[in-house]
This record gives sequence, C-alpha cells and structure tokens, in this order.
Amino acid sequence: MDVLLQTLVAGLLKGGLYALIGIGMTLIMGVMGIINLAHGQMMMVAMYLTFVLFTFLGLDPYFSLLLTMPALFLLGAAVQRWALNPLLKVESLLPQNQVLMTVGIGMVLTEIMRFIFTSNYQSLKTGYSDATFFLGKISFSVPLTIAFLVACLFTSLMFWFLLKTDLGRSIRAVAQDAEAAQLMGVNAERIRTITMGLGAALVAAAGTLLLPVYYLFPDIGKPFTTKAFIITILGGLGSTVGAILGGVTLGLAEALGSTFLGMQYEDLVGLVIFILVLLFLPGGFKRLTKV
Amino acid sequence: MTGFGKRMALILGCLMLLGLGAGAALAADTIKVGVVLPLTGSQAKFGEIEKNSFLMALDEINAAGGVNGKKIELIMEDDTGKPDVGRSAIEKLITQDQVSVITGGYSSSVTFAMAAVAQQRKVPFVVVTGSDDKITEQNWNYVFRINPPASEYPKALGSFLTEVVKPQSVAILYENTNFGQSSSKAFVKDCEEMGLKIMMKEGYEAGAVDFKPLLTKVKAANPDLIYMVSYVMDASLLMRQAKELDINPKLFVGGGAGFTLPEFVKNAGPAAEYVFSATLWTETVPFPGAKEYVKKYADKYKESTEYHGAEAYAGMYVVADALKRAKAIEPDAVREALAATDLMTAFGPVKFISYDKKTQQNRLPTYLVQWQKGELETVWPKDLATKPAVFPVPKWNER
Repeated sequence: MDVLLQTLVAGLLKGGLYALIGIGMTLIMGVMGIINLAHGQMMMVAMYLTFVLFTFLGLDPYFSLLLTMPALFLLGAAVQRWALNPLLKVESLLPQNQVLMTVGIGMVLTEIMRFIFTSNYQSLKTGYSDATFFLGKISFSVPLTIAFLVACLFTSLMFWFLLKTDLGRSIRAVAQDAEAAQLMGVNAERIRTITMGLGAALVAAAGTLLLPVYYLFPDIGKPFTTKAFIITILGGLGSTVGAILGGVTLGLAEALGSTFLGMQYEDLVGLVIFILVLLFLPGGFKRLTKV
Repeated sequence: MTGFGKRMALILGCLMLLGLGAGAALAADTIKVGVVLPLTGSQAKFGEIEKNSFLMALDEINAAGGVNGKKIELIMEDDTGKPDVGRSAIEKLITQDQVSVITGGYSSSVTFAMAAVAQQRKVPFVVVTGSDDKITEQNWNYVFRINPPASEYPKALGSFLTEVVKPQSVAILYENTNFGQSSSKAFVKDCEEMGLKIMMKEGYEAGAVDFKPLLTKVKAANPDLIYMVSYVMDASLLMRQAKELDINPKLFVGGGAGFTLPEFVKNAGPAAEYVFSATLWTETVPFPGAKEYVKKYADKYKESTEYHGAEAYAGMYVVADALKRAKAIEPDAVREALAATDLMTAFGPVKFISYDKKTQQNRLPTYLVQWQKGELETVWPKDLATKPAVFPVPKWNER
C-alpha cells in the first residue's frame, strides 16, 4: 500500500510539471495548428537562464521565474513574429514548412547554447534541492512539491486568462476559427505572436522549476519536446484541460510503470498509452471533457 | 539574377575552386586518419574530452616529425550518439576521404554499428572507448580495441570485495543500453562466482528525472552492496536521491563510465562522498606519460580530463605507431602493422591479442577508486593505492 501511494505521489508531482510543459505546447497547437518542435529547446534556454542567474547573481530559481518567463515570452514572440509569421504568407499546401522551421529553431538554440556553455553538464544546488518531508510514510520531495503547486497556480491562471479576459477570448477565437475571428476584428497575427510567447513562458516556468532537481546540458531539450508532443496528443490537440489530464496521466503512467514493471519500461508505458489513446480515443482526452 | 549577383557568384565560384585546389595540394603530403566521436548530442561532453586528447596527441606527434616525415591529418566526424549517423560517418570517411585507418568510437551501440561497416569495407578501425563485449567477439579482423571490454571493468572490484568487504547481497542497477547490459551481465556472473546473493537487478532509461521508484525497491531489499552502471548525470541523480531516501548499504559502487568524472562530484555534491567506482585508468597508474598527460591537458584546455581522454590520447599514438611501421599507407598494410602493435602508452601497454571469444583485444588491469573529500583516490589494488579505502561507509545521518 505504501509503495503504491508513494508511486502515485511521485507520478502526480511529475505529472504537474508535465502538464505545465504540455499546456504551452497545446496552446500553440490550438492557435497555430502546428506542433512546435522547438518546445523543449525553449525550456532548455530557460534552464540556462536560470542557471546563469543563480550562478552569477545568486538568484533563487523560484525568484528567477519572474525573469525567465518574460524573457522566454519575448523569445517565443520574436520567433513567431520574425520566423513563423512570414512563412504563413508563403503559398504552400500544408503548414509543414512552419513545423520544419521550428525544428531548425530548436537546432539553432541547442547549438548556440553549446557554443556559449559547451557540452558540460551543469546543475545548481540550492539548500532545498535534496530536501524531503514526510506525510505518514510517504516522502515528498520539497522542490518537486513546490514545482507542482506553482504548476497548478499557473494552470489556473491560464484558465482564468483564457476564459475571462478579452485577450484570452481572442486566443480561443483564433484557435476555433481564425478566419471568423479575423472577420470579427481580431488581429490573428498579433494573437499568434502572443500565444507563442505565452507557450514559451509556460515551458520556461517548467524548466526553471525542474532545474533544482534535475541537470542541464544543451541537448536536454529534445526529450522534453517528445514528452510535450505525447502529452498534447494524449490530451487532444489544442485542449488545455486535455493537456493537464495528459500530463498527469503520463506522469502517473511512468511512475506506475517504473515501480511495478521495472524502470527500463518507464518510457515504454507512456508510449503504449499514447498508442492506445490514438487507437481508441483518436481525439485525445478532450473528447471526454468537451472543453 | 542581377549583374551584381552574377559577378558575386563568379567570384565565389573562383574562390571555391581555389579552395579545393589548395586542399588537394595539402592532402598530398599528409596522411589522413578518420576519427568518429559524439561531438553533439547527449554524449558530447565525452566526445569533447576525447577530441581534445586526440588533437593534443596529434600535435605532439606532428611536432616530433610526424610519420616518416609526413604529417598526420585528422578528419573528425560527428556520430551525434546515434548508430545510423555513425555508420554514414564511417562510409563517408572511407569513400570520400579515403582514409586508411579510422579510430574513435565512444558509445557501444554506435561503435558496434561502425565496426561492422569498417569490417565490411576492409578498413582498420581502432576502437578507443566502445566497450560492449561483442564488438571484439565477431572475428572481425579489421577491428582493434584498446580499452578493456565492459565485462572486465569490475575486475579490481572483485578482488577488493573478496578480500576486504565480503558482502552477502547485492543490488544491480544499470542503464538499459548495450554498455549497461553488457556490464551488468558480467557483474552478475562475478557475483555468482563470489557467492553473492543478487537481491535485484534492474535497468532504467538514461535521462530519467525520478529514480525513486527504483530506489524505493532497493531500500526495501536492503543489500550490502549497490552496484550501478550509469553515465554521469544519472549517476549524480541516483546518488542524490539515494541520500534523500536514506539508503545505507555497506558500499555504493559505480561500474565505470560516469562515476569517475569531475562532473559527478560537482553535480552530486556531498552525495558523491565515499562512492567507489571501477575504472580503467587513473592519473596514478604506473605507466610512462600518464601524469604528464593529465598535466598537459589541464594546461592546454583549462579543464580536467579522465580515463576516456587517456584512451583517445593513447589511441592516437597507437595509430601513428602503426602508420610508421606500415609498409604502405593503405588499409591492408596498416591492418598488418596494427596487428603487430606492441607499444607502451599513457593508458598502458597496447598489444592486440586473442583470448576467450575475443580477437584483437588489448588486455589491461583495472582499478578501484573512491571519492574522498571531493578527490578521486585510487584505493585498490593495494600497491597502487594513493589512500586506504574508507570502509565501511558511514551512514548518511552519521556524516
């Protein structure tokens, strides 16, 4: 029983972070209709920013959230404004060239970071990096719990933003039908830029929150791009609730898989669920929630 | 195209032709050697150490007159840590650059794929790091290996365990790759010979965030010895989380790869203290040039090196030595020369012999090291020890 509970807790905590990564991706997916294959790489950039702020200025990672999120918002917006929006104007049958562009951007970001920081492995150690507390017999890692809570906070904020603000409504309008939204006077290009920025800022938060427990090198982005992709598909393209469910499902599946099947099957379990969802629930979890 | 554009194109074209001409002229009086390493991707850190070491040895060899008056030119290719990319890198080196010998090879999976191509194309391949046993168990007569195979990494550990520790039970954790499987399988066999009870043996995917599910099981099994085959960042996380969960075996042992790197102690922090590791080479080995190599590397690159670098450094010397003795600079002659290698290097004596199922494999002793106060100390074999081993390891809450 303890083992099961411990596993569920570990999966849930990790799932919170995954959800945060997934929401950014799904927002972009919803509005732009493309998969951002530089998503994990943007997270990596945010992690390097956090690392630099911590090492040279001594800023606590949680405080540097206030800097990394705006910074990545700007990066994401700039990428959209100067690299992806121009591609929209080029005649092409499919949106593939934008996807290819994000692949290129991901590579460029990775190699720039390698150029500046070399391939060395980095990590930052705070007083709480290895701290744990116990509830009954179940151990909670302090940084992962904080990450989970912050992830919940950002997710709720995002929800409120999308449902209650004008800008949020415009984003949803563009996601649902870009042409109709434009006819209603929504500047779709501006919305796309903002959405990309938001997506990048959210994944930046995930990166900054993860860094105290994890480590960092230029190629860390790619596996997280893959994770984000899986979460987005699990949740249903463009669905925020779906992304949360997808993230938590993936976190739980990985944890349960590694406890009860063996840790070498961690990725396998996630991917099997991915295939099952594609087979039996092609629209992802958003089919179940209708949000 | 505008007039200006045309002119530019013409000028560029001319420049390119000139460039090509110069390249060809240069190539005529150098001997080309191919090197394949992971220069990008998740193993790039090790690729970098090896690349620097190759280049350092190259400079020394060329400064000392090169090979019979000719300078060696290294053509570096990036395998990005993927077998398919490694294969095409080798193909490119053989068909396009027409090198007569190839060296490098970091990850086991990539090296295995590359060795198959080298064998098929009949170009000698001197493996410096890829350590999966099966690489030299295929009767491939164009494949040579300088480093010991993965199954021999824990040789020194074996004698330390039987003579000093005398543990009863063991838990084995390994990265689920060619290297991890090969090492753990060999260690299981060693354990059976020593009569150790194997409480658990489990693999994991490299790059995991959370090792707690695995470590919770280890804690429940409560073994005397935890043996881990991991790369550096997994190694750091494993130790940090073992400390978090307060797991207290008699000793933690790393099976080579990640546990001896400076990054390990940097990232694992206090959790790295007293961790043992099997290693193939340390600064204190009794081979000429070992200490000098470490010092030269630190002076030149302002970073510390480790055994992978020493393998590459020795690899360059082995290749240069074979090229010197080869009757002609073509693959078959170089292969013959390599097969007759008998050279002392900073990594140890190199001689390609056949034993057990292996062919053209260099045989070397291995060592056991331990982190003590943030320094890597050789603790076994006793006659080479820089410090006595700290054993049994104090419990986390007693430190």
